[in-house]
Parts: sequence; C-alpha cells; structure tokens
Amino acid sequence: MRTKQDRSDELWKFWEAQEVTKTGRFFFLILVIAGVISIVRFFDWWFHPNHVASLPLFVILSLITWYGLLRLILIWINYLGIKKPKRAHAEDGLKVAIFTTSSPGEPLSMFDKTLEACANIIYPHTTYLLDDTQDPAFKEVAEKHGAVWLELVGLPGAKAGKVNKALQMIDEDFVLIMDPDHIPFPNFLDEVLGYFKDERVGFVQVAQTYYNQYRSFTARGAAEQTYTFYGPTMMGMYGYGTSVAIGANCTFRKKALDSIGGHGIGLAEDLITSIRLHAAGWKSVFNPVVVSRGLVPEDFGSFCKQQLKWSRGVFEILFSELPRLSKTLSLWQLISYFAISTYYLVGVTIFLYVAIPFMYFWGGWLPAKMDFGEFLVNGTPIIVIALLVYLYVQRWLSHPISERGLHWRGMVLKFATWPVFFLGALLAVVNVEIPYIPTAKKAVKGLSPYTRPLIFQVILFILTLGYVIYDRLYVASEGILILTSQKVWGMFAFAFVSIIMIIGGIYAAYESRDLEPEEPWKKIDLKKIKIRRKS
Amino acid sequence: MKRFVFVSAATVMGIALVLVFVFLGKQTSGPISGALDALGNKIIEVEQDYLLSQREPIRSKELAWFQPYRHNIELMKNPDTIFLGVYENNYLQSFDKIINLDESLKSTLPLIQIYTAWGDKDREKFPAIYAKTIYDLGSMPIITWEPWLNDFDREKHNLHAVADPNVAGMSTVARGDYDFYIEEWAHEIAAFEHNIFIRFGHEMNDPYRYPWGPQNNEPKDFVAAWQHVVNKFRELGVDNVIWIWAPQPAYLRYAEYYPGDEYVDWIGVGTLNYGTVASWSKWWTFKDIYGNYYDWLDMLDKPMMITEMGCLRVGGNREEWFRNALTDLPAKYPRLKAIILFNDDDDKTTLNKSLNWSIINDTSTCEVIRQTIKDTW
Repeated sequence: MRTKQDRSDELWKFWEAQEVTKTGRFFFLILVIAGVISIVRFFDWWFHPNHVASLPLFVILSLITWYGLLRLILIWINYLGIKKPKRAHAEDGLKVAIFTTSSPGEPLSMFDKTLEACANIIYPHTTYLLDDTQDPAFKEVAEKHGAVWLELVGLPGAKAGKVNKALQMIDEDFVLIMDPDHIPFPNFLDEVLGYFKDERVGFVQVAQTYYNQYRSFTARGAAEQTYTFYGPTMMGMYGYGTSVAIGANCTFRKKALDSIGGHGIGLAEDLITSIRLHAAGWKSVFNPVVVSRGLVPEDFGSFCKQQLKWSRGVFEILFSELPRLSKTLSLWQLISYFAISTYYLVGVTIFLYVAIPFMYFWGGWLPAKMDFGEFLVNGTPIIVIALLVYLYVQRWLSHPISERGLHWRGMVLKFATWPVFFLGALLAVVNVEIPYIPTAKKAVKGLSPYTRPLIFQVILFILTLGYVIYDRLYVASEGILILTSQKVWGMFAFAFVSIIMIIGGIYAAYESRDLEPEEPWKKIDLKKIKIRRKS
Repeated sequence: MKRFVFVSAATVMGIALVLVFVFLGKQTSGPISGALDALGNKIIEVEQDYLLSQREPIRSKELAWFQPYRHNIELMKNPDTIFLGVYENNYLQSFDKIINLDESLKSTLPLIQIYTAWGDKDREKFPAIYAKTIYDLGSMPIITWEPWLNDFDREKHNLHAVADPNVAGMSTVARGDYDFYIEEWAHEIAAFEHNIFIRFGHEMNDPYRYPWGPQNNEPKDFVAAWQHVVNKFRELGVDNVIWIWAPQPAYLRYAEYYPGDEYVDWIGVGTLNYGTVASWSKWWTFKDIYGNYYDWLDMLDKPMMITEMGCLRVGGNREEWFRNALTDLPAKYPRLKAIILFNDDDDKTTLNKSLNWSIINDTSTCEVIRQTIKDTW
C-alpha cells in the first residue's frame, strides 16, 4: 500500500475548497441518480421470501443493512446541496473578540504559541484568555501577547461556563471561540466577518484542520474521519441551511448567543448551541477555508475518550433538544440534526454485524439464504457508485493535497471504536453519565482500557475457530459435513473482515504505548504561514 | 425550465449508468458464479484435505462390502445381489435423516437418490456437492434427471423464442439445442470420477405427469433425445454413468419408448401406492403396479430397479403392503436388483396437499421391512 507522504510542509498555507460548478454538480447528480436506482434494484432483490432463513435474524440483518443504505442516500442528498459562499469582504470597524480558555493541567507553551498567533491576526480585535488555572504564568503569557486576562474560576462546563460569563463582561459584537490547541492564520477574521453583513447570520464556521495527523496511526485515522465533513459535507449542509458550529474555531454574533441564553452546556456543547441558534431563526455560514490548524488525538486512549464523550453527548440533541425545538427548525435542519444525533447508532449496527457469525457458530442461526453471486451482482454497483461519489466529492475538500485518499485508517479506527459508540448509545438511552475511565498511564501494561473489548473479540474469534474445528473433527454428523463446509468457512471469512479491522484498532493502541509525548506547537514557525490567495 | 433540463439530462445519464452496470452484471454473473463455484469447491477440498480426512469415516466403513460394487461399473450393470436405497427430501440441508433410516432398518443403504431438473439455475447444475457427500458416506448416487425445457434463458443460449419449449421438446433436444447444458453435465460427471446412476426422463409414456411425455412428443422423438444424450456423454469420453430407463407400465404403451439395448443399462419402475388419498387412486398392491408387468420387462434382459417404493397409510395396512411386496422377492422377481425407498415427508407434486411417505419414524413398518428381508431373501 502506498504510504502517504508527510505533507506537513503544505499545511501552513491558506487554502480553500474548489468552486462548485454547474458541470461538477451535473456529473455528481448523475452518480447520485445511478446510485439511488441501484439501491432500489438491490431492495427489490433483497426482499424475497426465500431469502429468509431465520425470520428474526433476517429482520435484524435487514435493519442493519437498510439503515446503512438509508444513511448513504441521506449523505448523497446532502452532497446535492453543496454550496460555497461567495467571497465577502469584512467591513471596517467591527468590534471582534477572540475567546480562548485555559484549564489546570494544560501546557503553558501551547498558550504562548496560540496567543502569539492570535496577536498576529490582521483584523483589529481583542483576545481574551478565559483562565481558571489560578497560575500567574498564564496571566503573564496573556499580557505578553496583548491579550486580556480574565480569571473565571468555579464555573460549570468545560468551556461554556467561562464563555457565558465572559460574554457578559465584553462589549464586542462578534466572538471567535477557539480551542487553545488551534493556531489561527493571520487572515482568519478576514475570511469570516464579511458574512455577518447579512443580519440574519448568527455564526460562521470554517474548516477544522490539523497539523499533527502524521504523528501516529490513530492521529491519521482520526483526521481522516473529519476530512470529508469539513469539505463537501458541511458545504452541503450550508446549501440546505443547516451547517453546524464546531467548538474549535467558530465565530458567533454576540446578539445571537444572547438570544438563546448563551453558549450551550454539555458534552456536545457546540452542537447544542447550533441547534438552538437555528431554532431561534439564525442562519449559519460554512466557509470551506483553511485558516487555523489544531491538534487531533494522537493516542488511542485519548481518541476513544473523545469519541465516548461525543457519542454520549450527541444523543442529548436527539432526546433533549430536538423534541422541543422541532417546531421552529426547517425540514432540512430537522433531518440533518436527526441524522447527526443518531450517527453513533453505528456502534449498535456494527455490534450486530460482528455478532452474526458468532450467532451462527454457537447457535446455528443463519439470518439469510442468499446466493453470494447474486448478492455480488446486485450489490456491487452500489459499492462502486458509493466509492465513486466519495472520491468525486473530494474535489471539494478544504485542503485536497493533504486530505485526498481512501481514508482507510479512518474506517479501521471507526470500526474498532464500535464498543465506545455502543457504550455511548447505551448510556444515552438509560440517561447515565459517562463513568470515570482511567487514562492510558494508569491502565494495565499501558494498553488503553478501550482495547479490552477488542482483545476480547479477537480471543472469542480464536476460541470459536477452535470450537468449530473440534466440532467438525469429532462431533458433527457425517450427514452434514460437506453440506456445511462452504457456509462455515464463508462465515469465518465474514467474521475475519471484522477481526482485521479490530486488529487495526489494537495496533493503533499498541503504537500509542510508545508514543513520545511531544509538544508539536513548539515546532511551528508562525512567520512561515502563507495567506496569499491563489486567484 | 433550465433546471428541468438539467435534472432530466442527469436522470437519463444516471439511468444509462445503471444500465451499464446491469449489462456488466449479466455478462459477469456467469463467470462470477463459475468463479464462486470453483472457490466453493476449493474450500470443500481444502477442508477435506486438512481437516475432515482426519475423521473416522463411519458410514463408509459400514459399507465396506459395497466398495467393490460401486467401483466396478460392469459389476453394477450386472449385479449379483440386491441393493437397497432411499430418496429422502431433506438431503439438501442434511443427510442425517438418511443415517436415521439406516438405523431404523438396521442396514446402511448403499444407494441414495436425488432429483434434478434441467435449467439455468444453480440447483439445476450437476449436484456435485451432494454427489460427493453421498460418495463420502460410502454410497452411490442415483440422479433422476428431469428434462424440463422451460427454465432456460432462451436468449442467452440462442434458442428460438417459443411459447412452450416443452411442446415437441424432445426433438429439439435430439437435434442438439441443449447441448450446452448436456455437455456441462457430462464434464461435471467426468470430474466427479466415481460411478453414478442417471434416471433420465422417467415416466416418459405418462401423458399427464411430465412435459416430456406423449402429450408433447412422439415416442420416436423421445428415443432420439435419449440416444442423443447418451451419445454426447460417450463422445466426450464420459464412461462412469449407468443409464436407467424408467417407464410407467400402468400406461400400457411403453414398448415404443424403449431406446435400445445399447443405450439402456437398467430398467426402473416406480411403485407408489397412493391408497385412497385421491379419487383416481385405489389401494394397489406391489403386484398390481409392478408384478403384473414383470414378464414383459424381463424380456429386455436388464437388471431392474424399483426407483420409488412407497405406501401411504390411507385405505389399507402399510405394514401388510410392505410385507407382501418384499416376501420372497428375489425368488418371484429374480431380475429385480435394487429397491429405492421413497422417503419424502412433504410431497406436494401430485396433489394440492402434502403427502407424507416417510417411514423413518414408522418403527413397525421398518421392522416389517427388516424382518421380511431377513427371513425371506
């Protein structure tokens, strides 16, 4: 497999997604129509009475498959709305604040770099450091870069509490809320403020991009999972009027935040804020430009922790926010937030998918009797078209040069974190908070506790293999041996696909053990950031 | 308007793209299923070699006496003993029921019958996996090969489009229209390597039952088709087939359907007693439906097989029926060299309802069969 070269040298340049042309849209529409027709044909083939082996299992298998295909169609429909906002120049004289928050335990040098980068932002603004470290060094570093230091201790929520308090203390009209690990480019505000000319615009989001993704398999995979989202996906959502805010680098109109009672508090704060703003009638803009880069989790444990937080938090949108806000959301917004807040059900579907072979080996239950050849002939067009679509929309990535690709690491990681998603969904349904899970340093042998279900799965697979071999050698009746040969080993091949993905996850965790903790921001030379536009 | 043109044009091209996939699908489905078949066979082969060959072959051992017979085709064409066999309809999932019948009869059955129709479907190809299973279980397969001609994709095989391909179908078989199918089977059977029975186009003189019958064909056309099939196999060097010609003697005119001594190895007759389950059936004894025709069939000088022996419980005593049929059978019918029990527990082929011929759980009948054979043969 070709190893992607480290494109770190390309990262610190301003970049924007390609324009959306009529021809681009046209070819894309052809693909989508062909894809939908193929899915309909597949539907027609799939639902045949003689395909059913065990009815309850067939229903489960159908639910998994058609849930996935429905989401695929939704993704395609979203892409059809793809839109890039016309360039809007920022008016002079706008009053802009930049918020960044600090908490105990965060590295001082990171703030040194970030605040310096904030100071380099061209458009006149005031940077505020919302600090609760109670460490005088932070006050010093803020003042060093001309930022206002606000001591805000004892407020709820990781970030939101401090943000809401600070909002009351400032008189600027626009607030860029930035994660401290993000390094903004000097032209950040120039790419964002122009869109607020439309009075109805409540927030403007730009692409969230990274600079440490080449450090590990986990980092690569985690980054790959986001590329399409911060390109064609959000561009589609913008086209339908439902692009969301991301806590790392979103710019808000203060009036908008005030109108909803401040920034949302919770595990998925940015999403909660988004939906409330949309429900209150505010519009959102997504500008697919690279104007800041931050950090993605580098070790498996941190990544899983983040995913657990999101998978638990995002369900709150479904259970708490959507029901009461549904009346004032537009149809597309409803669909979009519903789709986002149910995204992590993928943990449940992957679990069922993984369970099927084991149900066959231990219980003799087969869900379906489908001719594999027919399945290939009917299903392959969908896979091919889905792949073509996925690759085609990559022309609208925010930074194609480093983001294009098959993103297989992202897929492996996503599959291997199914236990995390499952747990998140489970906790959401019974409405329980996330329990404390120790960090990698405290875990056994340094392997993250999140690898336990994966190792268990591999062990179960090996045990099952042993059991089946034993059974076929000594126990099974002669009358069924050859007749079940293909089914048994076919099922193993099916299970093996899952195991390969899981092993990928275990590898990511294993690699994380030896990861040298580094401070990647130290190597960044802010003077080397290029912001010149190509055109 | 512009949007309408945009969407319509994209729709047309989208449909075109789908049609490309459909076309590719049709083209590749043959090769794909061929490749998957090969893969499937490889899996069976590899598992056999590395795993299953370690097993003790139980049933094979019980049939050790049968090995010299099934490996010697000339001996099987002129055997010196009577073979028992069975058709059991659940074989598609498992042969366990047949093993159960072995136990009920206290006799491991050397012949196992399966039915396959002609056509394009997977289940209409040579049943290699089942033949192999039967062989590994120590037995010899009998395949009843039914020349239904309506299940072929006529375009794909360059056949004339006709309303009913079965009408005058046998003459089209004779002239070579279905050689693509016959040759495929011949190759598969050659690859199987072991000897098998084929009962081709059975009950060809019954004008109601099967489409290759006299309602659609002249007797001479049936004979021509038969000869064509056998010749094809011989041309291709396939020499492990024993051909069973199986008329329905109850329909009296069957002599004219006889393909000739060089084309037939065994004579087969079905003896199913439907009892009084339908208006057209009575309680017919074994003598009624076979014994009375024995003398004429004997003149053909070939070993005979009861290809389907079964008795329903409606209208008479099943145990009696079997006892009468089997008592002194070798003495009464010296040419009768094989009896295949018809053990279908869900037969829907004759009446609208399901008929249960199975004797696996009928201990009294099994006892009668076992005892009668033991005492009188």
